[in-house]
Amino acid sequence: MDNDKKGNPIVKWLLIALSFIFVVLFLVLPLVTVITQSLRSGFETYKKAVTDSYTVKATVLTIEATVSAVAFNTIFGIFAAWLITKFKFKGKKFLTALIDVPVTISPVIAGLIFLLTFGRQSVIYPYLQSMGLKIVFAVPGVVLATIFVTFPFISRELIPVLETQGTDEEEAAALMGAKGFTIFRRITFPHIKWAFLYGIVLCTARAMGEFGAVSVLSGHLRGKTNTLPLHVEILFNEFQYVPAFAVSSILVMMAVIVLAIRSILEYRGKKAE
Amino acid sequence: MYVELKNINKSFGDFKASDNVSFEIEKGTLVGLLGPSGSGKTTILRMIAGLETPDSGDIIINGKRVNDVPAGKRGIGFVFQNYALFRYMTVYDNIAFGLTVQKVDKRKIDKRVNELIELIGLKGLEKRYPSQLSGGQRQRVAFARALAPNPQLLLLDEPFAAIDAKVRQELRTWLKDMIQKLGVTSIFVTHDQDEAIEVADTIIITNKGKIEQVGTPREIYTLPKTAFSCSFFGNASYLNNYEKFLSFDKIEGVEKAIVRPEFIKITKKDEFQKYVASVSEGVVEQVMFRGDTTEVIVRVNDSVIVAKRGLDEPTIDVGEKVNVFIYRIFVTVGDNAYLLENKNLNESSVVI
Repeated sequence: MDNDKKGNPIVKWLLIALSFIFVVLFLVLPLVTVITQSLRSGFETYKKAVTDSYTVKATVLTIEATVSAVAFNTIFGIFAAWLITKFKFKGKKFLTALIDVPVTISPVIAGLIFLLTFGRQSVIYPYLQSMGLKIVFAVPGVVLATIFVTFPFISRELIPVLETQGTDEEEAAALMGAKGFTIFRRITFPHIKWAFLYGIVLCTARAMGEFGAVSVLSGHLRGKTNTLPLHVEILFNEFQYVPAFAVSSILVMMAVIVLAIRSILEYRGKKAE
Repeated sequence: MYVELKNINKSFGDFKASDNVSFEIEKGTLVGLLGPSGSGKTTILRMIAGLETPDSGDIIINGKRVNDVPAGKRGIGFVFQNYALFRYMTVYDNIAFGLTVQKVDKRKIDKRVNELIELIGLKGLEKRYPSQLSGGQRQRVAFARALAPNPQLLLLDEPFAAIDAKVRQELRTWLKDMIQKLGVTSIFVTHDQDEAIEVADTIIITNKGKIEQVGTPREIYTLPKTAFSCSFFGNASYLNNYEKFLSFDKIEGVEKAIVRPEFIKITKKDEFQKYVASVSEGVVEQVMFRGDTTEVIVRVNDSVIVAKRGLDEPTIDVGEKVNVFIYRIFVTVGDNAYLLENKNLNESSVVI
């Protein structure tokens, strides 16, 4: 009878074992490989690969693209989630579906679409050129592609939380004379902050690792439009395995830092509550 | 008149929530908006608060038309059905919120909040979060939060709906006392007749977006003017052919005849019945113990009616033949209701 409540211990251990095997096989092992491979030829080679000027430029561009994507999608995500959960209007379902498009279509296709939209074949290309805007095979294209593929990450995290909250608390605050921003800051934000943080983490991780769409739009110009994942690919294709793994380890470290920041924030926040 | 609604109309798509609603409320009264669910009572409340805008008509508060005044500027306190307490704020911050957004001096806020916490009897719980309070305590906090900025009008949406029966009784009395003590004009919405009768000074009955009747609880209960108000109160039963019951005036065009348990006297065949001349014979179909009374369901003249008997009276069994005497009947003709008294009552009193 006790088993009914606590669950079968065999099932429990089976599930733990399975999860453990999966985590080791698909997460820990590759990570360990990245680190060991990158240090295979000693720390000096590693240092050389990491401090290589192309690598540094790729890192800076990756950080730039990531920060832009997170900033843009934070603003957009909050607005979209707010609009979808707090207002009624025609075409709401359509808009909700549209927001999901970036995660449902392949990034390579997304890249191609942008290439056709902003490239030489496009009708708007002459206007872009007359304004001096170069998007395709340039940094704006990389940023644009990154923003596009990470588009729904923050709004998707916020929508379910805002939906369950309802509008009562906001109405109550508005009735007492609170203005829009005060309502957001004091009523809505405390409610969504963990989902929001999680959305930012997801968005950051995805933005740093984006390959497909960026690959199409960047044109692989070394030192100009190469991001870290593209740089890894180039090195790998040039049979420079150790540098490729060394550059990969930069991405791994960036991911670890983001996760650590999130954990610290969450731990502190939950303790304060 | 403190609050006035003039010819208010409001539709949600095809649904007419308010159909030419007009009424007036005097300053200092406690008004109950009573009606079944979907009757438009909450919509009326939300329009007064400014949370909905009427399609047409005027809302006047304290002599000023407020249709275009935003909700936050109407000086209204609102208690939501599920309280809508700010879950990430403490009891103290919840109550202080209204004053904080008005940028009132910190010391004044502190004084007012402490005063209210004292008033609602939650001293010592200032630092709690809403999730750490019982239903009754949350309601008190919602009440205090609505009152903190000194509103001239307090609106309460189903204030007791989310509370269990025992605490509800206690809170009703508490709320009525509080409102009387503070003298703030208040309107509350309820679907519970007993609640409206017990708490309100004035009851406004709504049905299908229309106002059926306005009056004191006594007026509404004893002299319902419309077919709906007749049937909404008490545990009403319908008589299929009221003409068969003796000693009542006959009226043209009667659609429904309604009796409430207190209009009926059931006596055993061997019990004394003063008006024995106008009784009908009925058969007991069901007897249910209700705690303070016994509910008896009797089939008489092809109608099934609900009556009550005191616990001190001899018990009645199912299947027993009994005398049924009816003191009065509500009859409805179209939308209007009339009260028919048993004529035998007057004749007897003349004899004595």
